[in-house]
Amino acid sequence: MSKRILEVNNLHVSFNTHGGEVKAVRGVDFHLDKGETLAIVGESGSGKSVTTKALMRLIPNPPGFIKGGEIHFEGKDLAKLPEKQMEKIRGKDISMIFQDPMTSLNPTMTIGKQIMEPLVKHQNMNKNDARKRAIELLKLVGLPSPETRFKQYPHQFSGGQRQRVVIAIALACNPKILIADEPTTALDVTIQAQILELMKDLQTKIETSIIFITHDLGVVANVADRVAVMYGGQIVESGTVDEIFYDPRHPYTWGLIGSMPTTDTEGEAELVAIPGTPPDLLNPPKGDAFALRSEYAMKIDFEQEPPYYKVSDTHFVKSWLMHPSAPQVEPPEAVKVRHRKMPSNYAEPVLVEGVRA
Amino acid sequence: MVRYTIQRLVYMIITLLIIATATFFLMKLLPGSPLTNQERLSPEQQQIILDKYGLNDPLPVQYVKYMTGLAQGDLGLSFQYDNRPVTQIIGDRIGPSALLGFQAMVLGAILGILVGIIAAIKHNTWLDYGSTILAVLGISIPSFVFAALLQYYVGVKLEWLPVALWGEYKHTILPTLALTVGVVATIARFMRTEMLEILNSDYILLAKAKGISKVGTVVKHAVRNAMIPIVTILGPMTVAVMTGSLVVERIFAVPGLGEQFVLSINTNDYTVIMGITLFFSVLFIAVIFLVDILYGIIDPRIRLAGGKK
Amino acid sequence: METNKSKIDQLSPDLFQQRKAGEDEAEKIERPSLNFWQDAWIRLRKSKGAIVGIIITAIIMFFAIFGPSMNDHKFSDQNIRHAKLPPKIEALSGISWLPFDGKDADGFDVYESRQVEVNYWFGTDDLGRDLWTRTWSGTRISLYIGILAAIIDFIIGISYGGISAYYGGRVDDVMQRIIEILVGIPNLIVVILFILIFEPGIFSITMAMVITGWTGMARIVRGQVLQLKNQEFVLASRTLGASSNRLIFKHLLPNVMGPVIITTMFTVPAAIYTEAFLSFIGLGIAPPRASLGSLVNDGYRSIQSFPYMMFVPSVVISLIILSFNLMADGLRDALDPKMRK
Repeated sequence: MSKRILEVNNLHVSFNTHGGEVKAVRGVDFHLDKGETLAIVGESGSGKSVTTKALMRLIPNPPGFIKGGEIHFEGKDLAKLPEKQMEKIRGKDISMIFQDPMTSLNPTMTIGKQIMEPLVKHQNMNKNDARKRAIELLKLVGLPSPETRFKQYPHQFSGGQRQRVVIAIALACNPKILIADEPTTALDVTIQAQILELMKDLQTKIETSIIFITHDLGVVANVADRVAVMYGGQIVESGTVDEIFYDPRHPYTWGLIGSMPTTDTEGEAELVAIPGTPPDLLNPPKGDAFALRSEYAMKIDFEQEPPYYKVSDTHFVKSWLMHPSAPQVEPPEAVKVRHRKMPSNYAEPVLVEGVRA
Repeated sequence: MVRYTIQRLVYMIITLLIIATATFFLMKLLPGSPLTNQERLSPEQQQIILDKYGLNDPLPVQYVKYMTGLAQGDLGLSFQYDNRPVTQIIGDRIGPSALLGFQAMVLGAILGILVGIIAAIKHNTWLDYGSTILAVLGISIPSFVFAALLQYYVGVKLEWLPVALWGEYKHTILPTLALTVGVVATIARFMRTEMLEILNSDYILLAKAKGISKVGTVVKHAVRNAMIPIVTILGPMTVAVMTGSLVVERIFAVPGLGEQFVLSINTNDYTVIMGITLFFSVLFIAVIFLVDILYGIIDPRIRLAGGKK
Repeated sequence: METNKSKIDQLSPDLFQQRKAGEDEAEKIERPSLNFWQDAWIRLRKSKGAIVGIIITAIIMFFAIFGPSMNDHKFSDQNIRHAKLPPKIEALSGISWLPFDGKDADGFDVYESRQVEVNYWFGTDDLGRDLWTRTWSGTRISLYIGILAAIIDFIIGISYGGISAYYGGRVDDVMQRIIEILVGIPNLIVVILFILIFEPGIFSITMAMVITGWTGMARIVRGQVLQLKNQEFVLASRTLGASSNRLIFKHLLPNVMGPVIITTMFTVPAAIYTEAFLSFIGLGIAPPRASLGSLVNDGYRSIQSFPYMMFVPSVVISLIILSFNLMADGLRDALDPKMRK
């Protein structure tokens, strides 16, 4: 197994609002290995964005705060690190790309200056070296004539170009972890593909690990090594890309796959929507958060929160359906069609105790 | 940008023409003439005076004369102060007003921006609440009430500064303060709102994600962007200070334009009223024009796009 | 997680019966659904400033309506024998830091020395007129002018801005050029000239303020309508064949109302201020009528010896302007859809 670079244990993030405490992230565990890409998937409001902002301690406080849990990175617990030391990690060891490139650049500062900022801050470069490196970075992310681009302002760039600039900023200090928060959602489909290509390309060049947040499973298949599916502020299923796509176990994952159009969707096969809306995290439902929307819900789902079960060394599922007493259920057609047998699966799902994935 | 500037200039001139014409005809509608305040005069003497002011000509002739005079910077003669040209009166009076106005604007802008920044950074703390309350009081208390209170407490009760004197520099302190309050309050409120919006923006988040410190993001990213729209309220602020000067100068007996204006209103000195009116209008229009151009220069989005969006 | 393996393994099989959540359960909405105005009202109630503003306005309105008839003095009754009496309210005279003990600036009981039996709650002016009655009738006039100016601005602004934006094109172009020129004229100058020509009075002062005042409202309405006109819900409604009237009254106006109400709320204090300002430079309401501004002006003349004459109307006018500003601020925060949670 390759080297672990990040380990998150039992992370809780809450927001104080007029209505009370919104528990946006409710006990999330995951890890990230060196050089791999982890995709976090879920619908809006599932807590995926908040989770990653918590990793960088960028939750606006107030109203948000990390309520509990640990974020282990290079022997430090980022959840409790003083702000001053956190500043030295942001942009240097961990950096981030945001969803909307139209708003994430300072409109009155030249692109060059914005790229130079982290270089000057973290690598103590002088203006000249930083400038050279910034132009190099612009070239690296595929912007033509970087010398002139360097002196321009964000409004002179298109959306896709701006996202390239944001990527250049994020990669300026060769970070160990790159967090990409829906980096392609706001872009045209053709540009999306280019940006994804660029990210894959750059990942191999600078050997960074990527946490890729998206609600688009199609994107996941292209970029990720492992996938974590989030629902209602918790990770409900995680595993390798193959495990999630070809042998998903959680009804919510089934729902996601069922609602995803693919090129091999037969003319007859219908896309199936997941009914209902995500849970109100102001008063999270008792038991399994997905039970209300699930066709496969059981009595216990409305009473007790399910534990995690291991289907293989890498595949974790948080569902009572894995319990030996649970009835055998048939996944929906879309999932059955693509089902493949995973050679590394255990004979039976194993209950995970104590520390989870 | 050039086209835009020229367009603005044309508007400016049209506006001025309209104002000048309107003031001219409004003044003709006014009851009273230079004769109203004179002692009893024989018809011959009246005739001489009317001739002197050109009031015997038919209206269109008077208008043309007035406008050509204006173009040469001639605002006519005062009805009250024998034979004194209005331009000369304005020239004599402009100094103290300009000094007070300048001090009030500069002090107000600096304080207002600082208070606004602090309130935004310390959002939802007692510092924020305190400055917000002070700012809303500042825009609510009329300038003449504030000036009178200052005069009463600082001048009459505490006797720290003279009640109403003009001559030494320290005499400018109270009137400047009285004029500044509204400016500080308005700019502070504006700045706070701008800063709060910017501090919640994505690019501030990105700056933080780069590892820039809190102070760094505020100074390098937020303040600069919040200052740009501040420029736009410089126009209204100038007007507020001009307006305020009418009453504040009266209260502190400052020999400025505002005091002269109020005096002329009370003595029906129409040529002076017209002159000062036009002077204020030109000043106001010039400030608005400068602000527009300045805005284009400091905001790269407008500067490089070649016009206002 | 504390639950140990054996406990989980031994869960009753009965619990694993399938049980689908009912339709209503799945679709149940946790929070009550509120329309825009209900939501705004809830947020307005949470704004302390707005509540303070509403309370002050209510109190001042109450006194403006009933204050002048609460004692026997008329606003124009002169009584030279009772001139320049300081304020005296029996119930409050024991509290030394309040200026209601009937003593002048030197602590001398003027009522006793002049053998005045009646109490003047806010004192009297230099003609012996009761300042209580004068202050509240002045408040009436100030409020009247402020609200009237706001209403007229509202009507002109909405029509002008609405027409300009709705019809667009040439109409809009011409109408906007006119506004652009009007905005370039410093409005105080216009107001002063206007009043010099027409005698100062409630109507002329209000009209003077309206002449330039409506442009702000018209610009806001135009901006809002232009923004809304191309939004999907309006396009959708138009596609479905809604008539022009329906579009304007059902879709555009309700959505424009927020900023319009806020602007109106800011117009009232601005008009009250302008009126007071005019009175203070001698262009206000003509005697014997008095507005708060002219009372401040009268009081200012004797500020050194009888400061209460100026303080009382000053406090009332500052409170009115303050309360309207507070309400407008609160409304702005409450109606800003970006703040909706």
